Formats: sequence, C-alpha cells, structure tokens
Amino acid sequence: MNEARDMQAKQKQADEKLEQLITGALAGLPLRRAPDALERRVLAELAQRAALPWWRRHFAQWPMAARTGFVALCVLLAGLSVTSGLTHLASQGWAWARPVVGVMAAFGGVTSWALSLVPPLYFYIGLGLGGLLYLLLFGIGAFAYRTLYLPSSNTAMVSS
Amino acid sequence: MVLNEHTPVQTQPTGTDTGAAAPLDFTTFMRSYQDMVFTTAARVSGSDSQAQDIAQEVFVRAFEHFADLSGSATAGGWLKTVATNLAINHVNRYRKRWRMFSEMHAADGDESAAEIEWEAPDRLLSDLSAEQRGAIVEAALRRLPDQQRLPLVLYHFEELSYQEIAAKLGVSLTKVKTDIRRGRAALLPALQAAHARETLES
Repeated sequence: MNEARDMQAKQKQADEKLEQLITGALAGLPLRRAPDALERRVLAELAQRAALPWWRRHFAQWPMAARTGFVALCVLLAGLSVTSGLTHLASQGWAWARPVVGVMAAFGGVTSWALSLVPPLYFYIGLGLGGLLYLLLFGIGAFAYRTLYLPSSNTAMVSS
Repeated sequence: MVLNEHTPVQTQPTGTDTGAAAPLDFTTFMRSYQDMVFTTAARVSGSDSQAQDIAQEVFVRAFEHFADLSGSATAGGWLKTVATNLAINHVNRYRKRWRMFSEMHAADGDESAAEIEWEAPDRLLSDLSAEQRGAIVEAALRRLPDQQRLPLVLYHFEELSYQEIAAKLGVSLTKVKTDIRRGRAALLPALQAAHARETLES
C-alpha cells in the first residue's frame, strides 16, 4: 500500500519536473516567418472571389432585392407545393389530408380577413414609420459606436 | 501558472519598427499578423503546406470582417482563435481515423498506461538562443503524432486549460492529460538529441 503511494508520489514529482522542463523550453519562442507566397496567395484568392458574379457568392453577399426576391419565391413555391400536394391527396381519397387542407384554408382565410381590416393608408404609414424608426435607431447606434467606442479602441490598438 | 513569458498575440507589424500606427489597409493589416497566424497554424497542424492553406483561409475570412477588425484592439486574438480552430478542423479530418485506435490504447481513466520512464536533466535548451531553440522545438513538434502534438500545442502555446482542450478536441479530460504527458515525454528525448547535435556542430 505504502509502496504504491510512494510510486504515485514519485510519478507526480517526475511529471511536475517534466512539465517544468518542457514549459521552459517552449516559452518565449520567436514566431516563424510566414512564406512570402502567402500574401500573394491571399490577394489572388480575394481578387478571384471579387470577380465572381453575385449569384455565385455567399447568400449573405447577395444584393438585398435579390435576397428578398429569393426568399419570397421560396415561400411561394413551398406554399404552392404543400397546398397542391395536400389538395391532390385529399381528392385521391386520403382522408387525413382533408383536415390539414381545411386548417390551412382557415389560416389563409383568417390572414386575409385580418389584412382586409387594416386600412391600406394606415398600414403603409405604419410600415414607413417603423422603417424610419429602425433607420434612426441604426444611425444613433452607428454614431455612438464611431464617436464613443472607435476612438478608445484605436488608442488601445496603438498603445498595445 | 504563466506558461509563456512572451505575449501570445502578435500585435505589431513584423519586420518594421513603425508599429505604432494602426493598420491602414488590408495588406498592411495582413503583414502585421501573418507570422503569428502562420506560426499558430503550423504548430497546430504540424505541416507547413497545410499551415499556408489555413493562413490563407484565415485572412480571407478576416477580409470579410475587415471593417470591424481594422480598428479593433482584439484583432490579433480573433485571428489567433480562427487560425487555431481552422487548424484543428484541418487535423480533425484525418484524426477520426487514429482516434478510434488511440482511445483503445488509452481508455478513459487508464492512468496506469500513462506511466512514463525518463531521465530528468536539470535544464533544457537553456544555453541556446531563442532562434536555435525555436528551430529545434518546431522540428521536434512536427515529428510528434497528432494526438500528442495537438493538446501539447494548445496547452503550452495557446494557453488553453485541460477542460478547454478536451472540449475543443471532443475527447475526455483524462485523455487530454495522458496525451500531454506522453507528448512531453516524447518531446524531451527529441529535444535532448537535437540539442546534442546542435552543440556538436557549433
């Protein structure tokens, strides 16, 4: 029992010594020099990506109108597929599809009824006002970031 | 415990003494950090050619966020984290193959398997310059197997805790500790041999 404890203590001591030695040997090593080709490779890759047409880039980099149109088209297609699929199944005698079609039709009816209650002028004025407030909030945030945060972070960058 | 005495993140341009100014454009920004990014990627991946690919990807991503990074004091930390994560992902693609076998040999809680015999010198590479030491250590690290080099580099160079390394690599805490101990034990004779060669040559 004591032997085992002694062995454990010895092993622990040896591990600590080893850690200390390796830590000392690895501490304060200089950085390796990056190959000269790296900068050229990065700039070439960036130029290649910049030359790509917008539809071959990442979705997040698409123009806003294209993104909105794409999402709207997807929603429309998905809605059409589901509705037509369920209607087809219901007409073929698939009983379980009928209540689903009924619920969807009811949901569509409720939505169109709710929209019909909103006077168009008020709706657009509200929408415009919401957009304006959003832009105002964004502008205030950007202004605060540039005036309050950026100068202090630049100072920290320079002093580091 | 302080593992490294040097600043872990390169914050000044390399090869120039005009590091007082913040990076002006992306090329200047890249030149400021490319040595740090390349070194991090090379140490984690253990391969210079892979490190170049990783560093390229890091800077392409940095370009996408350049508006935020160019004036940020934490740009170095961001680049280092991205370089480390990408390098780990790179290694992980090949690691799945060996992990099954290494887990078989060092199952969780199998501490006895990790007992290491080695002869302790009093000091290691302390009489060499930082450059000589760097060359020896980098070469020895490259020769370590991935499962030992990865946790060792993350612990000693990236200053991550055992828990953080286990989470990053998706292995148990015991395995991380065992691999680090084995890595150190494997590194020691390699460093001693390289040191002896260096002393003989000079």
